[in-house]
Amino acid sequence: MVDAIINMHYRFSNVLFFCVRESEKERKMGEKTEKKKKTKKISTKLISYIVPLVSAMVIALVLVASLLSKSRMTEMANETLESSISNQADNIEAWLSENLQFFSTVKYFIEKENPAEGELSGMLDMFYGYNSSCPNGLYIGTSNGKLIKASKSETTESDVLGSAWYKQGITRVDMAYGGAHSDANGTTVISATGILDMEGDELKVLGADVPLDAISIIVNSGVKMANASSFLVDKSDYTILAHRNSSLVSTKLTGASSDAFLDGAYKKLSAGDYTTEEIATYMTAFKEIEGTDWVLVSYIPTSIILSAVTQMSNLLIIIGIIAVVLIVVSILYVVRRVIAPLGHITENITAMSEGDFTIEVNSESNDEIGIMGGKVTEFVTSMRNMLRSISEESEKLRQESDSSDQVSRTMYDASQAQSEAMKQLNETVDQLATAVNDIAQNATTLATIVSDTRDNSDKANESMKETVEISKKGRQDMEKLSTAMQDIEAANNELVNSINKVGTASEEITNIVGMIGEIAEETNLLSLNASIEAARAGEAGKGFAVVATQIGKLAQTSAESAQNIANLIEEVHKLIENAVGQAHASATSIQENSELIGVAVGTFDQIYNNIQESNKLIENMIEDVQKVDDVATNVAAISEEQAASADEILATSENMVEMAENITRSSQDVADNSEELAGTSHTLTSYVQKFKI
Amino acid sequence: MKKIITVLLTGLLLVTVIAGCGAASGSTASTGGGGKAKILLIMNDVTDTFRGQLADAVTSAATSSGATVDLVETGGSVEMEAELVATAASKGYTAIILRPSDASTALQMNVAAGNLPIIYVNNQPSDEHLTADKYIYAGSSEEQAGQLQAEYVLKKLGNPSSLNVIIFEGEQGHSATIGRTNAVVKTLKENGCNATYVFKDYANWSDAEAEYKLGIFMKTGQSVDAVFCNNDTMALGVISGMKKYGLDYTKIPVCGVDATADGCESISSGEMAFTVLQSAAGQGASAVKAAIALGSGGTIEGIDYATEDHKCIYVPFEAVDASNVSQYK
Repeated sequence: MVDAIINMHYRFSNVLFFCVRESEKERKMGEKTEKKKKTKKISTKLISYIVPLVSAMVIALVLVASLLSKSRMTEMANETLESSISNQADNIEAWLSENLQFFSTVKYFIEKENPAEGELSGMLDMFYGYNSSCPNGLYIGTSNGKLIKASKSETTESDVLGSAWYKQGITRVDMAYGGAHSDANGTTVISATGILDMEGDELKVLGADVPLDAISIIVNSGVKMANASSFLVDKSDYTILAHRNSSLVSTKLTGASSDAFLDGAYKKLSAGDYTTEEIATYMTAFKEIEGTDWVLVSYIPTSIILSAVTQMSNLLIIIGIIAVVLIVVSILYVVRRVIAPLGHITENITAMSEGDFTIEVNSESNDEIGIMGGKVTEFVTSMRNMLRSISEESEKLRQESDSSDQVSRTMYDASQAQSEAMKQLNETVDQLATAVNDIAQNATTLATIVSDTRDNSDKANESMKETVEISKKGRQDMEKLSTAMQDIEAANNELVNSINKVGTASEEITNIVGMIGEIAEETNLLSLNASIEAARAGEAGKGFAVVATQIGKLAQTSAESAQNIANLIEEVHKLIENAVGQAHASATSIQENSELIGVAVGTFDQIYNNIQESNKLIENMIEDVQKVDDVATNVAAISEEQAASADEILATSENMVEMAENITRSSQDVADNSEELAGTSHTLTSYVQKFKI
Repeated sequence: MKKIITVLLTGLLLVTVIAGCGAASGSTASTGGGGKAKILLIMNDVTDTFRGQLADAVTSAATSSGATVDLVETGGSVEMEAELVATAASKGYTAIILRPSDASTALQMNVAAGNLPIIYVNNQPSDEHLTADKYIYAGSSEEQAGQLQAEYVLKKLGNPSSLNVIIFEGEQGHSATIGRTNAVVKTLKENGCNATYVFKDYANWSDAEAEYKLGIFMKTGQSVDAVFCNNDTMALGVISGMKKYGLDYTKIPVCGVDATADGCESISSGEMAFTVLQSAAGQGASAVKAAIALGSGGTIEGIDYATEDHKCIYVPFEAVDASNVSQYK
């Protein structure tokens, strides 16, 4: 019954709780979001998204355009440079070959005319002044060291055979240019020379000096590319033949100067690599001049080539920045135009969030924002209706919860009383269990003690048995001792007999000795007689007298020995008598001992019998103790069972107490809940009343 | 929004497809067979020994690759060459192998050819008129001929530190003349030989002129240690002159180029010392390979001896001296 009530209460209160808590949660969350989120304008957001994107694209565009135009510009500059150097080289070649053609013509003419040596000077006069590139006209050096020239010519040569032009000239028939050298006036010239193919053994070399001025003009001023420069190098010895910087003319490239560009150019030239390449910030092109050992080098600073690229990049960057600014401005404008109606709706929604549902939203716009306005109006209307019905319902709820609160209070009191009663019962049972437990403990102790006693008497029994065995053995030993005594006695008697026999034997010896003594006496007498007889015999018996004397001495000695023996035997006899006396004494003491042992054996027998009897008594006692032990064990087991039962009873009563306490707590909860419910329904009512409808 | 995505995706697809097509049309590799190749071979004449061999080599190489080849002789007419080149495309040729009468007309020929590739042979145009995988030269590096000559002489004379050298050059301005002569000079210098060029003149490929100019050299009273000639004919003229003037050609090596029959004969009889062979078969085969590859829009990548800039294929020269001359007779 109580359970049912509690359950009912729970369900009811849970439902209400859920409703109210949800509404509270929403309110709290609303507060939180208001605190956390800073309001950002849509236009700011759009700009923060679009501007970085557009900027990145503009940067990429500028980079790509710069890189592409850089490579194109470089390529174009290369082409221009190569075309310029090619043009210069063609000009130089044309100029050279034009002159060479003229010289060859003269040579051909001389060879065809084949004049005598005296006429040669006149022939050279004919051509003197015709070619302005060759101001001193042609001249001829002969193998005799003679120099033939035009009469007006200023050409001089002190050592024809040792001169560079003559040496070059004798290496070919067709006229060709040799290396640069200074002429008599100090002008740097190149000589076109060749052997005159004429009859006769004398060798004639036709020569013509061409100053390098004309070539310098082509090299220094014939550059077809703005800001580019050129210089001309003889690759056989790396002499600079023409250069805008006149101090460098006639110097040699060494690769070890302080000018990184000239060193780089030297490296390329010495490697025979004539490809266009950037050397020390200069884009450099090379061109060999056909028919000579010359290489034309043309170069332009890379920075000039790339200045246009830099300019273009700067322009692109400026345009990019302007584009970004324009985009920002247009975004701001468009956003203002499109989003203006949202402001009104935002105001209405703000009012709504404060509980004001009396608002009216105008939805004139025909886009998404207009639809939004319309829907907000619909929402407000339906909210208004909903709030009204919630308000009514919450009032009813409040009344019901008040009454349920009272009921639960009464129930709580009742359950508390029940719990108290239960506790008292539990205490009583507890005491009972304690008493029973004591009994069980005592019984167990008793059983243990008895058990110990039995063990001890068992041990005593065993000891007793051992004692019996020992006494039995003692008696047997005693008996053996008695037997041994008797044997000793017998042996002693035998010893006495043997001694007596020795006594008898020694007496016989005494007799024999006596006899010997007598014999010796007689012998002595005989010897005396013999001596006397010998003396009578006189001189003839002298030897016999000596023998008789000797025999007499022997007889005396024998008598002395017999006397000694007799003395010795007398001593032996005395000793034997002593021994016999002592043997008799020991025989007497042995007799006494045997008697004493007999008494001891009797005593042992008596002890054995006594022990045997006490052993029996102990065995009887052990049987009795066994019986006591059985009884004590039974008592202990029974009292333990009793104690266990008492514990079970105690546990059960404790459970009961706990249950009673649970009931109390539950009814307390019910009371609390219904109290809270009442409070909550009050709150709900107050909230609902806040809304303006 | 969906529409925008659709438009974007369609555009992307279109770009990919177009790019893909472009890549596909450009990716026909040089490995393509010669089945459809039709080659126009233009030569000034084939009476010259070497050019005759070259024409034969081109024909046989084309036949074995399954390509067709038509030979036209121009007799040295530049106009005729230009017209043949200009009409080749309309006649269905896929590539032209051209021996220009004058290598300096290359630019004119390139323009006349339009989209058809030209493989120049035997007479090398200057580098600026060659375009990678389009207008190329198949031949031998003239420099290599001069280099082999100089190396032979240095070895034979025991790497001397100085030499008195005569060079008889071919025609003035000819690529072979310039290349071979420069290489002799360069190789001697690089190997530490301080050469004195006691006589260095053009003999225009002619034996008589070489012999005559040797006579003039004799008048100068200078000594000579080695004679380099840009071709065998001039070398033979020099040998003849040396006999006349009493120079010992067994001690003064005379070198030629081309390994002509007369040249080889001279070597085997102990007169000329050295020559180099331009492999007509190798050059012809390379020219045909290039014609097939370029005719199908490929590159000369992977063809033997193609240079890195894809402008030339240099078939190596072969050195010929007394030790191996019997193989070349």
